[in-house]
Amino acid sequence: MSGDRETILKRVRDSLAGIEDRTPYPEYDESLAVTAIRSLDGDLWERFSERFVAVNGLPITSPEELVEYLKSFEHTTGYIDPDLQTILAPYFGSGFTIEDRFDRDRLDDYRFGITRARGAIAETGSIVVTDRGTSSRLGALAPWVHVACVRRDEIFRDTPAAVAHMEDDPNVIWITGPSKTADVEGIMIEGVHGPGVQICLLLPDDVRKVQPTDA
Amino acid sequence: MKAQPIDVFARDLEEEVRHAVLDGSSSGYDKRLASLTSDFADPDLLRRTAGRIKQHTLENLDTYLPRVEEKLIANGVRVHWATDAEAARRTVLGIMRENGADKIVKSKSMATEEIALTPFLEKEGIESLETDLGEFIVQIDHDHPSHIVKPIIHKNRRGIARSFEREGLGAYDDRPETITARARTFLRKKYLEAQVGLTGANFLVAESGRMVLVTNEGNSRFCLAGTDIHIAVTGIEKIIPRERDLPLFLSLLGRSATGQQLTVYTEFISGPKVEGQPDGPGQMHLILLDNRRTELLASKCRDILRCIRCGACMNVCPVYRQASGHAYRSVYPGPVGAVLSPLLAGNKFPELADLPKASSLCGACKEVCPVDIPIPDLLLRLRDRAKQEGVKSPGTPPMGGWAYMASKPSVWRASLAAGKVMNYVPMNLIPVPALRAWRHSRELPPWRGGAFRKWMKIHAKEKGGES
Amino acid sequence: MRTDRHPAPGKKIQLMATCLCDGFFDDVAIATVQVLEHLGCEVSFPEGQTCCGQPAFNAGDWKSSRKVVRHCVQTFSGAEPVVVPSGSCAAMLFHGAPLEFEEESDSDEIGRLASRTWEISDYIVNGLGIDSWPGRFPGRIAFHRSCHTRETDSGPASRKLLESIDGVEVTPFGEAEQCCGFGGTFSVTFPSISSAMGHLKLEHALKEKPDYLVSGDMGCLMHLGGMATREGRPVEIRHVVQVLRDSLRNGGLIS
Repeated sequence: MSGDRETILKRVRDSLAGIEDRTPYPEYDESLAVTAIRSLDGDLWERFSERFVAVNGLPITSPEELVEYLKSFEHTTGYIDPDLQTILAPYFGSGFTIEDRFDRDRLDDYRFGITRARGAIAETGSIVVTDRGTSSRLGALAPWVHVACVRRDEIFRDTPAAVAHMEDDPNVIWITGPSKTADVEGIMIEGVHGPGVQICLLLPDDVRKVQPTDA
Repeated sequence: MKAQPIDVFARDLEEEVRHAVLDGSSSGYDKRLASLTSDFADPDLLRRTAGRIKQHTLENLDTYLPRVEEKLIANGVRVHWATDAEAARRTVLGIMRENGADKIVKSKSMATEEIALTPFLEKEGIESLETDLGEFIVQIDHDHPSHIVKPIIHKNRRGIARSFEREGLGAYDDRPETITARARTFLRKKYLEAQVGLTGANFLVAESGRMVLVTNEGNSRFCLAGTDIHIAVTGIEKIIPRERDLPLFLSLLGRSATGQQLTVYTEFISGPKVEGQPDGPGQMHLILLDNRRTELLASKCRDILRCIRCGACMNVCPVYRQASGHAYRSVYPGPVGAVLSPLLAGNKFPELADLPKASSLCGACKEVCPVDIPIPDLLLRLRDRAKQEGVKSPGTPPMGGWAYMASKPSVWRASLAAGKVMNYVPMNLIPVPALRAWRHSRELPPWRGGAFRKWMKIHAKEKGGES
Repeated sequence: MRTDRHPAPGKKIQLMATCLCDGFFDDVAIATVQVLEHLGCEVSFPEGQTCCGQPAFNAGDWKSSRKVVRHCVQTFSGAEPVVVPSGSCAAMLFHGAPLEFEEESDSDEIGRLASRTWEISDYIVNGLGIDSWPGRFPGRIAFHRSCHTRETDSGPASRKLLESIDGVEVTPFGEAEQCCGFGGTFSVTFPSISSAMGHLKLEHALKEKPDYLVSGDMGCLMHLGGMATREGRPVEIRHVVQVLRDSLRNGGLIS
């Protein structure tokens, strides 16, 4: 309501009128908020994997290994991002049902969802998913297993680097491990609303990078 | 002696609840502390810097509010302003009506709790469903959250299992994994049925108009993947100036709340979904809520508006831990609530003026606060305010006589020697009811008034003799 | 906490004994004098002293409190450090008083007293530059860092001194960061919560079977000791400065 706007802004101005010296913005080095106890040097996939494991994520380096994992848990029906079909579909044998459109009316039919990540963060073990880079928000969320695919050179060293590269995407999400809760007596349960298993698959270097398609 | 309401509440608290809160608040303490103190080169500077950034923002809201509004509009967000709770509730209802919507899925938000949105919407025939597991349980029990991060810290699995059985969510089974799985099954249908996803916001960046939402369960993400319209309700104090400030606040929020480096889902939203994205809201509204925040801004307690709702202060507060969140009779419990709630109450301040008294001023809250809010000082300011406004406070001894004595050395010394000071001085040293209260659970050491002064006189003489 | 203080000039100091030592714990004040004199300090005791003003400050009666603080400023005139065997009273003068005098015309005077007020352990370690303690004190100590020393140098200073003493074993205990439940008037206006807090502290501290419960504030110890006695499980309570003094005695360093 526009009346409310003017009222609130006037109240704000009046409330602040009495402050003689307003607190200045404190300049600080970005490294202040970056973890200092773990080294982030060397191969970023390695650094990322260490943190990803620490948050109960599962880093996987080859499509064969991924298929074997899914097979062993009998996760045979899933969604794969259309852009990933060409490189991944050949690894899935006849025992799998793969779809390239996520049908929200059959939400629970999908045991896994494989989507493209915009990147990952080595410092925190987070996967970065964006609206422009990911084919379906639900496909990355509703199935029990979510597989985010990332290239080695898409991994950010730390959170400031990841923030600096959010570009103009209206929806960026950092996913740090499986969905979880400790609401009942403080006991940790994974797989509340989102995935109970969070996997990150390292893509071969020749796969196209996710580029922000700035309008 | 008349008793303080919070003390009475604590005294009468069921043992089961008391234990749940006492243990629940301390669980993970070491993890939280370690993640805060040992991960960074200079954790204290980090906290102080975060505090100063928020303080700076608050003191420049006249600049930052129009700036964030401009960015939001440019991003395609419809911005609404709400002077008070009623205005905010009406705005939400207006958006619902305009879109012919009647179902909301809600992600945990203190602001919507503060404006009592759900009961209002339900009266208007709108289904508004909490999706955070804890909040969902609170809702089916017609209860209130008792902690801002762990809403059902006061409940145990047996009660929850009984509630689920009552609500037709399955036969009694009190295993946390079963409870969680049943909520998962029930709620995922609801996300897809609702037209509106309603959330709060943890931060709102002035520079870009990007809002940040953090959860662990992924329910907010589901709200914003299943529905067509996003409504965010956020207090005007949630702004931070720049994008580069985000890592700082996110690092502190996750660690302080749960000992996590980051919460599982950290979502940065600056507008409706992109073209081509099949899931999620194509329409986004943001309601900027005042509801007396501007009054707080004018007061010397404005520092409390820095709060990022991590709950760390209540986890360490010995009074909260003994009394539980419901003892505070307001949406915000614990140390932050003891400051915030009376101030948000406006002219009902006297009704909540006892909250700032419910503290031993131990400072544990300030020590863990990720934005360095001097909570004990603010509690003291509110005590001073209550006294100046003549609010009656049960059990607080009058201090006038004591102040007189303590500024007249001759009277003080005479009373010391005579032990009369017992009749004038506070706590154990004062009026008889207090002495009785003290002795109810403790012995008092023997009175040795004046003994040191005698010793010191003799000692000084001897010393003088030596030299 | 505001703890900006000028470095201690010289070794002349003024002792603020505190009202609790004035009324109950004379030996703590005596030990303070003995320890400081052992360190070569010249201790004066301004006779006009009464109380730091904290009870009224905490009760929200800042007008009454300011009256008492003004009396303190008069009593402790001069430029020497004011040393206090209590983290709580010290914090009242260097943090609480400046807060309640923010808008008073004499706030500068209050600020000057604040900047020369020291808690005893802090003064010994950071004022005088001493970081280990001679003599001997046999015993297992549960050290309760009293709450008003949070965010000050007093807690680490006390710990450093205690741990350096020959014979002392400082035992850790659970829920160490929790307040003991004293809190001045809090202990009588919130009797149920205060006792519950005391119980929690005693449970964890006594579980480690300490010979002594030690703190830098007699308020905490009076509350915890009184409670333990009432419950029939008495515990020896000692102020840090008593341990320091007894260590000197045991080592034959003072009589």
